[in-house]
Amino acid sequence: MDKKAIIAAKLAEWNLSLTDSELDQLVPAYDNLLRWQDVVHGMLRSRSIADGMVIPESEPLLTYSPEKGGSNR
Amino acid sequence: MTATHELAYASIAEVSAKVERKEVSPVELTELMLSRIAQLDPQLHSYYTVFTDEVRAAARQAEAEVQRGQYRGPLHGIPIGIKDIYESGRTTCGSKPLDDYIATNDCTTVAKLKEAGALILGKTATYEFAYGFPTTKSYFGPTRNPWNLGRDAGGSSSGTAASTAAGLAYAGMGSCTGGSIRWPAQACGIVGLKATYGRVSRAGVYPLSWSLDHTGPLARTVTDAALVLQACAGYDAKDPASANVPVPNFSEKLGRDIKGLRIGLLRSIYEDNCDPKLLGPYNEAVKQFATLGAEVVDVPTITLDQLQAIEWPGLFAECATIHLDNIRNRGNDYNPHAKLFAAYGLLVSGAHYLMVQRARAQVRDDLLQALSTKVDVLMLPTAGFQINPIADDSPGLSIVSASFSVYTPIFNFTGFPAIQVPCGFDSDGLPVGFQIAGKPFDEATICQVAYAYERSTSWHKQHPNL
Repeated sequence: MDKKAIIAAKLAEWNLSLTDSELDQLVPAYDNLLRWQDVVHGMLRSRSIADGMVIPESEPLLTYSPEKGGSNR
Repeated sequence: MTATHELAYASIAEVSAKVERKEVSPVELTELMLSRIAQLDPQLHSYYTVFTDEVRAAARQAEAEVQRGQYRGPLHGIPIGIKDIYESGRTTCGSKPLDDYIATNDCTTVAKLKEAGALILGKTATYEFAYGFPTTKSYFGPTRNPWNLGRDAGGSSSGTAASTAAGLAYAGMGSCTGGSIRWPAQACGIVGLKATYGRVSRAGVYPLSWSLDHTGPLARTVTDAALVLQACAGYDAKDPASANVPVPNFSEKLGRDIKGLRIGLLRSIYEDNCDPKLLGPYNEAVKQFATLGAEVVDVPTITLDQLQAIEWPGLFAECATIHLDNIRNRGNDYNPHAKLFAAYGLLVSGAHYLMVQRARAQVRDDLLQALSTKVDVLMLPTAGFQINPIADDSPGLSIVSASFSVYTPIFNFTGFPAIQVPCGFDSDGLPVGFQIAGKPFDEATICQVAYAYERSTSWHKQHPNL
């Protein structure tokens, strides 16, 4: 499947359809997104613990603050 | 220079002292700003809405209070602008579908500024929803840079930056998800202060990316930025990210010596990609810090490509969840590229988003380590390219490419406080600036360092010739 079709399919999962011209504009940006995915993956720190096996040495920066309660914006 | 011109460009610190001494009245300041807006804003387009009647009434009230001896502090009777994504009166977010939206309440930050006595002149222009670059064909049109009317004012807090730089407000509020306070501040030659994540409430401010969004002031001097921050900082239960920490006096270190203070340069981000036109004035600023007695060292960190790889996918993934329903319903009323950016965020997978959050944590931890052991503050240019000419057509998705070399996002995804300070002009007469960042919740130190530079130079005394 070419990139444009992949993008259209992914957006369709969200019930969003774009014109051909809009999809064309997203193709290079999507290519760059996949490249950045590799860049970020390559930055992540892990420790080898067995042949072919690693354990992550960093956690996602997510906020879990049970004392704060829900959003009230 | 006329007395009127001097008064329009006076700092808040200067003019508030005159208000307190009853040498200048809030009504006089407000009429001066309204007059300049009427005269100059047709060419700048920095305001979407001017609250003429409301601000005049507020000015009369402030004047009466000062006359009665009920002076509230340095923002009392000072006219300022508010970026048009803060809920307060007409709030368009720079987007056609919200042209007629009137907020029923003031958001927390505007309410705090009013409580401090600030006079709200109006709502200032913004990139659409704080990310959609304007063009001449955009519904609201672009804000023009007061230093060169053919250029963009930077964004997304374009109107606040342009109006403050042009003397159409004494300061203003912006918001910042990837640099939207510091970048337009650089483009317009003023100061932009993004405090620590959670320091200033975002409640009632239209979100772009919850984990990256900040609010904060733009002003013509470091002191003024600190004064505005003082009025709006503090815990707000309505903002889930708000930090329940003490609010210090952000001006307490202004004027202190910086001899021996250690400044860490984040060279790996900018050194191989910054336009020499901007790098020249920046390098002069680095030398100036050495002259002032600071010790300048290098701090190893990520590259620009890694910075972009962390910032933009996370930002647009969050943006997509905010705008999904809107672009389904009214997507064709957005700027074409603003609609596409929101769609782009839907292409970021869950695993990718979490990898971004891991990388953020790593960069934060590394820089915290440097700030704990090696240096007192961090420094790098604000952006590595000249502000763009005003575009006639959609710029497409240019922000998600290597050429968009803004260096500001690193302090959005780490959450560290950062301030942009003007450091001269490039060979085309466009302003150049740098950033100083510091430890979380230590805004006083970055203001100290920025102020030390500012008072040793005269860039902040230069104003556009309109």
